[in-house]
Amino acid sequence: MLKYIGRRLLHLIPVILIISFLIFGIIKMTPGDPVGANLDPRSTAEQKAAERARLGLDKPVHIQYWNWLKRSIRGDFGNSYIYKVPVKDVIPGFIKNSFILNVFVYIFAFLISIPIGIITAVKQYSKTDNFWSAFSIIGISMPTFFFGLLLIYFFAVKMDLFPISGMMTVGSKATGLAKVKDTLHHMVLPGTVLIIGSLASLVRYTRTSMLEVINQDYIRTARSKGLEEKVVIYKHAFRNALIPIITIVGFMIPGLFSGAVMLETVFNWPGIGRRLIEAVNLRDYNLMMALNMFFAILTLLGNLLADIGYALVDPRIKVD
Amino acid sequence: MKRKLSLLLALVLVLSVFLAACGKTEEPADVGSDEPTETEAPEEGAKNPAKDREGADNTIIIGMTEAKGELMPVYYSTGYDGYVVDYMFDQLFTNDEAGEYIPHVAKEWEISDDKLTYTFHLRDDVKFADGTPLTAHDVEFTYLAMADPNYDGRYFAYVDGLVGYEEYAEGNAENLSGVVVHDDYTISFTFKEPRVANFTYCNMHIMPKHHYDFEKGDIEALKAKMRDPLGSGGYSFVHLEPGQYIELKANMDYFLGAPKIENLILKFTTAETYMAELEKGTIDVQNSVTNTVENKETMEAMGFVHLNAFPNNGYAYIGLNHSDPRLADKNVRQALVYGLDRQSFVTNFFKGHGQVCHVPLSPVSWAYTDTLAEKMNKYEYNPDKAVELLEEAGWKLGSDGIREKDGMKLKFVYSTYPDSEWVEQLIPVLIDNWGKIGVAIEINYMDFNALSDAVYEEHDFDMYNMAWSLTVDPDSYSVYHSSQTRKAGNNAVQFINEKNDQLLEAGRKEFDQEKRKEIYEEWALNINEELPYIYIYQREEWNMVNDRIKGFECSPFVDMSYPQVYLNMEIVK
Repeated sequence: MLKYIGRRLLHLIPVILIISFLIFGIIKMTPGDPVGANLDPRSTAEQKAAERARLGLDKPVHIQYWNWLKRSIRGDFGNSYIYKVPVKDVIPGFIKNSFILNVFVYIFAFLISIPIGIITAVKQYSKTDNFWSAFSIIGISMPTFFFGLLLIYFFAVKMDLFPISGMMTVGSKATGLAKVKDTLHHMVLPGTVLIIGSLASLVRYTRTSMLEVINQDYIRTARSKGLEEKVVIYKHAFRNALIPIITIVGFMIPGLFSGAVMLETVFNWPGIGRRLIEAVNLRDYNLMMALNMFFAILTLLGNLLADIGYALVDPRIKVD
Repeated sequence: MKRKLSLLLALVLVLSVFLAACGKTEEPADVGSDEPTETEAPEEGAKNPAKDREGADNTIIIGMTEAKGELMPVYYSTGYDGYVVDYMFDQLFTNDEAGEYIPHVAKEWEISDDKLTYTFHLRDDVKFADGTPLTAHDVEFTYLAMADPNYDGRYFAYVDGLVGYEEYAEGNAENLSGVVVHDDYTISFTFKEPRVANFTYCNMHIMPKHHYDFEKGDIEALKAKMRDPLGSGGYSFVHLEPGQYIELKANMDYFLGAPKIENLILKFTTAETYMAELEKGTIDVQNSVTNTVENKETMEAMGFVHLNAFPNNGYAYIGLNHSDPRLADKNVRQALVYGLDRQSFVTNFFKGHGQVCHVPLSPVSWAYTDTLAEKMNKYEYNPDKAVELLEEAGWKLGSDGIREKDGMKLKFVYSTYPDSEWVEQLIPVLIDNWGKIGVAIEINYMDFNALSDAVYEEHDFDMYNMAWSLTVDPDSYSVYHSSQTRKAGNNAVQFINEKNDQLLEAGRKEFDQEKRKEIYEEWALNINEELPYIYIYQREEWNMVNDRIKGFECSPFVDMSYPQVYLNMEIVK
């Protein structure tokens, strides 16, 4: 197993290099550069040229890539042109904010969707099943911004139950538990939007994998032994149905750290999603590269984890 | 990408429907008994949720677009970080509502006979927030920071015209010979060439040497203090929550007197929800609200918020490529303006909150004289006149309804960027109006940065639209002079006109304001005749202010972060 993991990790290195090269190339091919963002729009042509030279943007693309690669391997991702500070000082705070929201969302999404998935599988084609099917479809097709604004209008403005936007009360001096409570309060509305949006797929996954297991011979055997239905479902079927769900968790890991652009805009959540879009719009090359590479590596590791997880829980799968 | 784009379009669509719906349903549902008074504070009984906010009695919360946290005078680059810097730092002088310079930290100044040296006499009662007095040495230090060999901010222009800049930035000089401290409260700046604009280059926000000091060349040590600001301004720094808000506290020892409101919080808001925040009272003021009728109706329905409106300092235009033989013809340019009903467009779009722009000067500037307003051609919509001009220039109607001459057709590629409401409404007007005079356009959408690249770097366009902001000084050399037509210069339209060059040069060298008035009048009239651009509109700038805040009154040259505004504002209990 260790040998397998080691080999897979080694395989990642060329993949990461290729990805970085492709992303770098695509970024450089898009017209425009960060000079406009950093300089006064009324700067003279000489000032713009000097700024390009200072940022090393006047060199051929392959040399720029090589310089980027050399720096990045040493852990130096350069300065963000937008924030004027090193990229590694910009990213963590915003990723942390996205992470906090995503953990909250994942926990509730799993807690809600797994029981629903089981119930709808056990009572296939019943009214409950149809209700949740319809609900999931509506949930997944509801545009974030629309649903978000709707929630803000009713629950924040009209009923005054939750704050409109942000992650904490402005100017709040709260610390410790009070701060956690304040953050949770701000998380309810954006969290609801995300949970309902992710419910659909999780319920479907659970339902399908549960149905598959229920139709297996060993379940019939368990039933014919005269076991109670509860025991059959929760002890025999559920544990086996969990296997594919565990692998989904692996795929979902990168999502924990990534942001949701629309949601962050509507709720003004200070997450990483808007930073990435902003970096693209202002051509903040260093920030774009660092973020894209971070997500690329997370996705690769997530896939690896999913494979390992699968191998661990399903004895039918051999890794070697 | 395609999906994102359609999502975005849908967003705009649904958003407008939604907001429109809100505006309509709110009135009966929410306001009911309230009187929607616009100017006066509502009497008892009208609920104003901002009053019930915790700590509301001594805190004002101002909503604005996110500041990035570049909290240092010599390094900030967004206008929003600029506001924060304004609140926290002072300058030698400032300006009044008409754009005339008035004393601030400097109580008086004089200019040498050769117009090269400015000497400032500083007040001796200005202190930084930690109690240290502000002296001429701090001013000198600020300039040394910008002249540092490794300085990588955007304010080179403040120092590169000073005597001794090269010796300091590229050589071993220990000081800038052009910046001389005569005593603790006297400092002079000597420039290489006499220019009117030099004066404004003396006015960088003053940074305390004892707090920011660094070895020459070690600019990283300075940048490490980016989020640890210390200034002498009316408000001083308390806390920055990245992406969320900045908290400031009144400087009780401010040399112009303590601000009346103890805490000032700048909350970062977005257009999606700032109206909701105003309604809920989670912000007291929203800076720069989009001036749509919907927003105004929503505001009026609240009943406890009023408008602070004034002309925006800038103009939107359509750039015409003068190196294109078709557009090099003045008759064609004038015909395009006569043939475009700008007045109807502006009236329909802004509903009275914007006006047609004729010349690149702010109507409130001293340079915008009455004679100019009277003499300039307003190019009122006149398709017959447009057709006449085109016929005169030899452009005959072709079989396809498009005018042609010498194998060229008046069919242009119009480059623009998506998601701008006024552009979306202007395009059908352009197609319709110009179609009537035999001119066709084809729309080419690209993202803003790509458009900038095509315009400024590649000069690859027939027509495009963008906007310029105006400075306090009327000088527009960097936009209209022929020397700026090269790659990356701002005169991307390749407008080359001898009279224009002469007047721009004269305006930069003349120090007598009365004479400058004449120069800029002549310059503007020439622009009005030659039409390097088609000028479209100057819009209104809107701040929305809760009635519980008194004295929040900005104007085109006086922002909310000017002491004139923030020392004046108070909370009505």
